Amino acid sequence: MLAVAQGDLDAFDQIVLRHQELAWRIAFRFLGDRHEAENVAQEAFLRILDAAPRYKPTAAFSTYLSRIVTRLCLDHARKKHPTTTDSFPAVQDRNPSAVERMAAQERDRTIRAALDSLPPAQRMVVVLRYFEGLDCRSVASAMDTTVKAVERLLARARDTLRPLLAELSEK
Amino acid sequence: MRCEKVRLKIDAYVSGELPPRVIVAIEEHLKACDGCRQAATVARRLVALGQALPTPPVPEGFAQRLQVLARQRIARPAPAAPSWSLAAWWRMASAPVRAAAAAVVVIGLGTGALISWNTWQAPAAPPAPAASQTDPLASYNVDYLTDAPDGSLAQTYLALVSTPAQEGK
Repeated sequence: MLAVAQGDLDAFDQIVLRHQELAWRIAFRFLGDRHEAENVAQEAFLRILDAAPRYKPTAAFSTYLSRIVTRLCLDHARKKHPTTTDSFPAVQDRNPSAVERMAAQERDRTIRAALDSLPPAQRMVVVLRYFEGLDCRSVASAMDTTVKAVERLLARARDTLRPLLAELSEK
Repeated sequence: MRCEKVRLKIDAYVSGELPPRVIVAIEEHLKACDGCRQAATVARRLVALGQALPTPPVPEGFAQRLQVLARQRIARPAPAAPSWSLAAWWRMASAPVRAAAAAVVVIGLGTGALISWNTWQAPAAPPAPAASQTDPLASYNVDYLTDAPDGSLAQTYLALVSTPAQEGK
């Protein structure tokens, strides 16, 4: 980042290659739309490029990136309701049978619908906590809020998602 | 431990982030509380679900497209934006900093309102002058308000101006 602040775009390219998956994953799991997720992930890196001269390494870069992506996703959700045209990618089995593929797609649709039913803040804590595997402190840092606020959001999200788990169990 | 507190800590408990004494307290509670036990089960299943879902692959060419955009952004002239904006600062500030700034604004406005209220209050009516035992004319040395002495020029003048004109006589 210090090199990027000096105008080194090769250093910026390296940062993108190293962290693009993280930005893309959070954006896609939250928004559910490939095109919008790519736009958000790209915008996150461009904002990092713009802010490079002011960057201070007070935390891990991944935390910094997560925070920017999270904020962009929440802003995007506030502006418009995301169109859920995509589901999670199918199971990457070598030779999935047609039945397994259909079951996986159905599962993905169910999960996507459940996530989209959550308010943006609850949806984001679910993505960061259960899909990204961040601990509560890291989630709080990414969302620029307190651990207690994250815990409350998770408690509410769990109550909402309980039927989802029951539905997945039945399937 | 109460259910409300246990349910807030359930995720941290499930992922083993809590200190040992808190874990013990939660486990004691879970033995006796069905609702919280179910909440713990839901949390564990959500963790397992998140781990089981495949990672969505980054779109092909993402990094290359971003490289082009980055170079375009660097090449174009910087927009004439203010070097600092309140909105940008507010977005970047952390929650405690925002709370402190809001408190300063509220205290400043409150102090200003209090000062304004004190300033614009109607001044207290001046106290009624105390009845004086002495002659006010002598006290205030305004002897020119007394009657003019007999035969004086002042008395003659006063007589002239106080009677109706009689054809200049």
